[in-house]
Amino acid sequence: MCPHTSLKQQFLKKWIMGLQRCSFSKKNMSILERKKTIKLSADIAMASARNGTTRWSRALISNASKDGSDNRLVQQILGPDSNTPAATTTNKAGTRRASVCKKIVKRSHQIRRRRRKCVAAAPVKAVTSSISEHLVRKRRQVLKTLIPGGEFMDEICLIEETLDYITSLRVQVDVMRSVASACFSQS
Amino acid sequence: MNRALPEMLQCSDMTVLQRQRARLKWQTEQLRQQNYFCELSGVFTSQTGFQQGGLMNGAGGGDSVLSNMGMSRQLKPDPGLETAWPELGKINMGFGSCGYGNGPSFDMNHAISRTSSCPPAVAAAVGSKPVEVKGNSEKMGSAVGRESFKKRKVEKLQNSKVVAEDEYKRIKASEEEEEESKITGPNTIKISNNKKQNSGDTSKDNSKVSEVQKPDYIHVRARRGQATDSHSLAERVRREKISERMKYLQDLVPGCNKITGKAGMLDEIINYVQSLQRQVEFLSMKLATVNPSLDFNIDNLYAKEEFPSCTTNFPTVGMAPEMTNHSPFLQFNPIQQVVSGCGVEMGMGMGMNSSDMALRRTISAPVSIPDASFLNTTCFTGPQQQIQPSAPWEVELQNLYNVAFTDTIEASDLEMEM
Repeated sequence: MCPHTSLKQQFLKKWIMGLQRCSFSKKNMSILERKKTIKLSADIAMASARNGTTRWSRALISNASKDGSDNRLVQQILGPDSNTPAATTTNKAGTRRASVCKKIVKRSHQIRRRRRKCVAAAPVKAVTSSISEHLVRKRRQVLKTLIPGGEFMDEICLIEETLDYITSLRVQVDVMRSVASACFSQS
Repeated sequence: MNRALPEMLQCSDMTVLQRQRARLKWQTEQLRQQNYFCELSGVFTSQTGFQQGGLMNGAGGGDSVLSNMGMSRQLKPDPGLETAWPELGKINMGFGSCGYGNGPSFDMNHAISRTSSCPPAVAAAVGSKPVEVKGNSEKMGSAVGRESFKKRKVEKLQNSKVVAEDEYKRIKASEEEEEESKITGPNTIKISNNKKQNSGDTSKDNSKVSEVQKPDYIHVRARRGQATDSHSLAERVRREKISERMKYLQDLVPGCNKITGKAGMLDEIINYVQSLQRQVEFLSMKLATVNPSLDFNIDNLYAKEEFPSCTTNFPTVGMAPEMTNHSPFLQFNPIQQVVSGCGVEMGMGMGMNSSDMALRRTISAPVSIPDASFLNTTCFTGPQQQIQPSAPWEVELQNLYNVAFTDTIEASDLEMEM
């Protein structure tokens, strides 16, 4: 992916730094722990590569910092960097998210009420459209669970975040795959 | 520009497209000047349009249609004008008779020059007093080009540009479309003439929806046959935004090109995101289990990539304390050999940007041990084995390479610690 090389390098650099910082403390780690560490450091590296510009990255970091066990790792990874503001804004973001969430719920109720009125006018068309709406809504729910921090986003924002998240995931997968393949090609 | 056009019109081997474009530009200027010399220029342009039509009929059938269009286009804003001006000779008469204080004589000269500058060739064809007109035009042509109207100067320029663009696009379309859009054209374009108007919106003008962005509001014109409710308008804007972003997603997610429905596309997106996340999990597991020392193999790559910038920082910060704390379990000899062998490669790898290749080079340095496969196994199986660190090894290396390389080797020391 040629246009992503800078992002790849950035991600790789941060990942390595994260691995360095958090893995030196323990010499003997079980496989699962190691895998978790690797994955966590990769995720944090990916998220911090965004510098808090996207919501999913902020949500990812804040979620990771919330867990007690991972918090240390996150702090170690992010420690000397200037990315800690991303973690500190979580409180504000949390309250804002709650209010946004309420607004969304209220709005969805209103829309549903309005749609019911329209549905009464044109039943046949409404049935098919309501089915499609239902499908879309269900899938949107699923997407919200996939994207970190997606439950609080409206539709436009969700799609934008999905775009960014997909590109970051691709970069992550590419880098990790190349590292793994480079390793295994030699052994 | 005004002078160039008639010559271009005369040129027969010019393509139709270029001719149309040239004529458009000229006609936009005509349109521009109409508001100032409405009656005067209207008369003249209608006449010149007519003349042009006469000329173009000889040149090409399609052009004549367009010139008729041009004429009708110019006539429409000024319906009250006479259209029966068959001869160019009447220009002078008209000029004399229209001396009713439209402005200073300077302006009238400009009008004449502008309107008659286009077809001095036409005048020649008609054969009535071409010399005077031409001389006039050539004198005034440059001045015309440079003249700037005080009122709505920038707007008009933009207008003309946008109009030119729009007209150029519409040339391809049918006549009716052109006629319709010409009427609505000036109106919509005047409204939508702000800076935030992008080319996408000029194409939207064709579909009679124009978005104007003033500082506070977004003005959206309702399409034909659609509700003008503010809610539905806002919802339509929102829906358009969503569909635009879904298009981006379509490009990003492979295999989404054939699917048109929103639900289907969301389904694909969900599957893709899930598969990517699963891949990350799998790869991290792979990296964790089979190669515990891998974590610091990457350090080589990192150091290499940061070679021009921060090689000194990297190892000293991370490595120094650990170097002292842990005893490196390292096979020094094979690495020494490999390093000496790969010195050139690593040097080459410095300039490369592709992470994959660089990774292979770096990881090949400590890992590819040609004659010591048993040491491979030891290094991979574990932290339990201890190999005495040998200071002379380090010294030797430092003799062989510059600081950057030694940093990478120190990194490879630590890679074995895991």
